[in-house]
Amino acid sequence: MPEPALEEQSKAGESRPEADRELVQRAQEGEKQAFEELVRRHQGRVFAVAGGILRTREDVEDIAQQVFLKAYLSIKRFDQRAAFTTWLYKITVNECWDLLRKRKVRPLMYEADLNEEQAHAYQAKEDGGESALDVRERLEAREMVEQWLDCLDEKDRTMLVMKEVQGFTVEEIAGIMELNGNTVKVRLFRARQRVAERMRRKQRAAGK
Amino acid sequence: MSELRRMGRPECDELLDELEGLRGEAAQQEEVLAELTAATSRHVATCEDCRRAIEDFVATRAAVEPMKAPLAVAGPWFVTRVMAAVRNAEKEMEERKEGVWVSVRGLAPRLAAFAVLLLVLGGTWAMELRRREASIAQPRQAEGLFETGTGAPMNDDIVATATEGNRP
Repeated sequence: MPEPALEEQSKAGESRPEADRELVQRAQEGEKQAFEELVRRHQGRVFAVAGGILRTREDVEDIAQQVFLKAYLSIKRFDQRAAFTTWLYKITVNECWDLLRKRKVRPLMYEADLNEEQAHAYQAKEDGGESALDVRERLEAREMVEQWLDCLDEKDRTMLVMKEVQGFTVEEIAGIMELNGNTVKVRLFRARQRVAERMRRKQRAAGK
Repeated sequence: MSELRRMGRPECDELLDELEGLRGEAAQQEEVLAELTAATSRHVATCEDCRRAIEDFVATRAAVEPMKAPLAVAGPWFVTRVMAAVRNAEKEMEERKEGVWVSVRGLAPRLAAFAVLLLVLGGTWAMELRRREASIAQPRQAEGLFETGTGAPMNDDIVATATEGNRP
């Protein structure tokens, strides 16, 4: 389940497109406070989207900042034909892919590889008061998922995560990725087939 | 197109639409089946591909569950950090703009010297051009020792004639 804070932020961002429109307009006129409000409103979802694509917490934070900076610098060119969120998540997805492309290969070190000290530091940053063991288990589980999703290309992986983890609709994904809704459905269907097949194979191999 | 779509059966397409349209948290096969329309449920009972599609749907939904715990959440400092980055970017852009102007201003003495040089050269060239034009406009006269004028006879010729006339 998504964390309550994240859910709240997401809902706040989703439920007020009209308010977004007004804030965007004011930001386009150079009002920094309006842009600040947009950041506050959408930071949770930007973190979630980037977190679904990237593998480390530091990358997510850096990319999220870069996304908002890019949004600020190009907001005057945003014509509001699409929703602000669609435009913002499109920047997020592209920035994440750019980063992964620059690195060419997927980072081999996951946060589950943190040493004890780093794990404690990580734990200290967590608000939920989880134990180091909880954090480690969570990260190991995530690493396992990453291995299953490894059989997908970045686009399919992003679609699946956006759909299943972040709760985007097919239409929203289509808008963000500039694809036809039908294409998204078919690609999701194929991605599920591939991941499920991989899981079945692993289970069979483990059973032998 | 997917395997389901390639089969060209509208019921299979319908299942795909319904599955991807599920907004709830249905994670078990029975829960998913319960959310389908009656017609699609009837079709699923007879279609092996659709049953497999539901299995895959449920399996992947369960598989990505650990990802729902966010990798990173925005801290209370995040907005401040973004706005600081925005201010820095603006300052940099301003400095870059000013930098262009400053470098133009730095070049001013050289530009002035170059302009003066151009002016001198241009002026000299123009004066020379005018002088040449004026000299072309005047009637041509003997200019050198070996050039002869067309009209007057040479002094030597006169002298020679005179000498010839005095011959005995």
